Amino acid sequence: MKKILIASISILYLVTTAHAGRIKVLTSYPYIADIVQKIGKEHVRVHYLARGNWDPHTVIPRPSFIAKVRRADLLIINGGQLEIGYLPPILKQANNADVFPGRKGFLDLSSSITMIDVPRSVSRAQGDMHPDGNPHYYLDPHNIPPLAKAITKKLCELDYHNASNYRNNQSVFLNKWNSKLAEWDRKLKSLRGISVVEYHKNFDYLLRRYGIKLVGTVEPLPGIPPTSRHMETISQIIARHSVKFIIHDVYHPERASKLLAKKHNIRMVVLPHDVGATNEAEGIFSLFDEIVRRLSQ
Amino acid sequence: MIDILISAFALSVVLVGIHSYYGLEIIKRGIIFTDLAIGQMAAMGAAVSILFLEGQYIYPLSLLFALSGGFVIAVSSRKNENLEAFIGLMYAFGISGVFILLSKSSHGMETFQKLMAADILFTPMNDIIKTAILYGLLGIVIYIFHNKTKGFLRDALFFITFSVTVTSSVKLAGVLTVFALLVAPALISLIINRGKLLINAWIIGIAVNLTAILVSYNFDFPTGYTLVLLHAFIALIVSFIFGKKKRLVE
Repeated sequence: MKKILIASISILYLVTTAHAGRIKVLTSYPYIADIVQKIGKEHVRVHYLARGNWDPHTVIPRPSFIAKVRRADLLIINGGQLEIGYLPPILKQANNADVFPGRKGFLDLSSSITMIDVPRSVSRAQGDMHPDGNPHYYLDPHNIPPLAKAITKKLCELDYHNASNYRNNQSVFLNKWNSKLAEWDRKLKSLRGISVVEYHKNFDYLLRRYGIKLVGTVEPLPGIPPTSRHMETISQIIARHSVKFIIHDVYHPERASKLLAKKHNIRMVVLPHDVGATNEAEGIFSLFDEIVRRLSQ
Repeated sequence: MIDILISAFALSVVLVGIHSYYGLEIIKRGIIFTDLAIGQMAAMGAAVSILFLEGQYIYPLSLLFALSGGFVIAVSSRKNENLEAFIGLMYAFGISGVFILLSKSSHGMETFQKLMAADILFTPMNDIIKTAILYGLLGIVIYIFHNKTKGFLRDALFFITFSVTVTSSVKLAGVLTVFALLVAPALISLIINRGKLLINAWIIGIAVNLTAILVSYNFDFPTGYTLVLLHAFIALIVSFIFGKKKRLVE
């Protein structure tokens, strides 16, 4: 009996020490997990909560979410209130003080970005649900390098033994990213000045970056399905601005956008909004490859 | 993880405790959708609070709306022959009212659903204990007055305590979960129809809750929905196989 006990304790010890060197990182969305994986490589174990093809605003929690938060050494979130609907109760129940906001094991990526559409006053009746601004900032590929830097900095802070590895991985990542940026910039240049309509304001940052004019949204207000009067208004806008296409996401019903596209004989372009949203977007690089490919078709 | 499962289980037991009684009553009275109608009225109160008062007084307003719904149903149960149709329409009125109120507020429906229904997984122990005390007191009131009152007074007592219960239960566990816990154990107990109906409903409800929570943990399914699915599935099977032939009216 005693032997079994000793044997099992030593096995347990081996198992736990085998992973002791690896930082357990939990991210809210898969795109963050992919950047962390590319910078942390073999020194991190990365998990994420929401799947890439889900609506990032409405995530239905499962028991495993709590277990994941409990085990994490580092929690990295998108921030800008994108997780406000599901993360706070999970954090509260998981009760892992290491990863509480403000602690060493917590990183809010939105703090390394200047957000757009920050409302002057927050009132629900005005349609402002995101008091910090539009939280979909990572969909501008030029915003990814600051995020990578913030992640590297945090990993170095938590695991200074491997700091040089993280910095090396970061420069490899950034070099590749910058050459990709040049390619994407070149491909999207031809879209400058055109007008588009979006279903939900997911891709504002991308559109602004490339000088594409957003003249309206199919939703009358974020999160509210289109009404008949709004459909009429948006239809007039499409005609007046000779809109080139309607951008849609993978998680809202396509009916309204399809109807408008058919009526005006324009394209509806479904864009992946996160890693895993479509089959092609399997990593942070291919996510933007796919967005650029679909836009410049 | 065990502590999280224990609090979810404790909440489900507290809910089964009181809702089995109401379940037996509403099935016998043939007014099953009362729960959904009152729940929707409570939701309308919450929507009014969100839209006009920035979410203040959400509980009192929900309760006020729920109580008026309960009172109207109690009154019309005395004089309305087609009560079930009346209740169904009240449900439709509530749900469309909520939708229209919140259509002017961005992400309104999402916020609203979160305020109205916490996931059963995330209810803190304090809230569970508070609810257990509230429902215990209501249980005592019902136990004392159930057989001492009759006629309209008894109906009024029933619908008023029911409104209070539904308002707080829906907030803790969501409309669907409350509905399943209300109807499924009571229905199975009525079909078995042996011994004490309420005690049987409790045993069935608790057993199914425990299974559902373990299944949800094991397969990593959303806990509330697993609970609803299992309760509904078992009740459907039992009533399909053992259900009695309907007594046809005329």
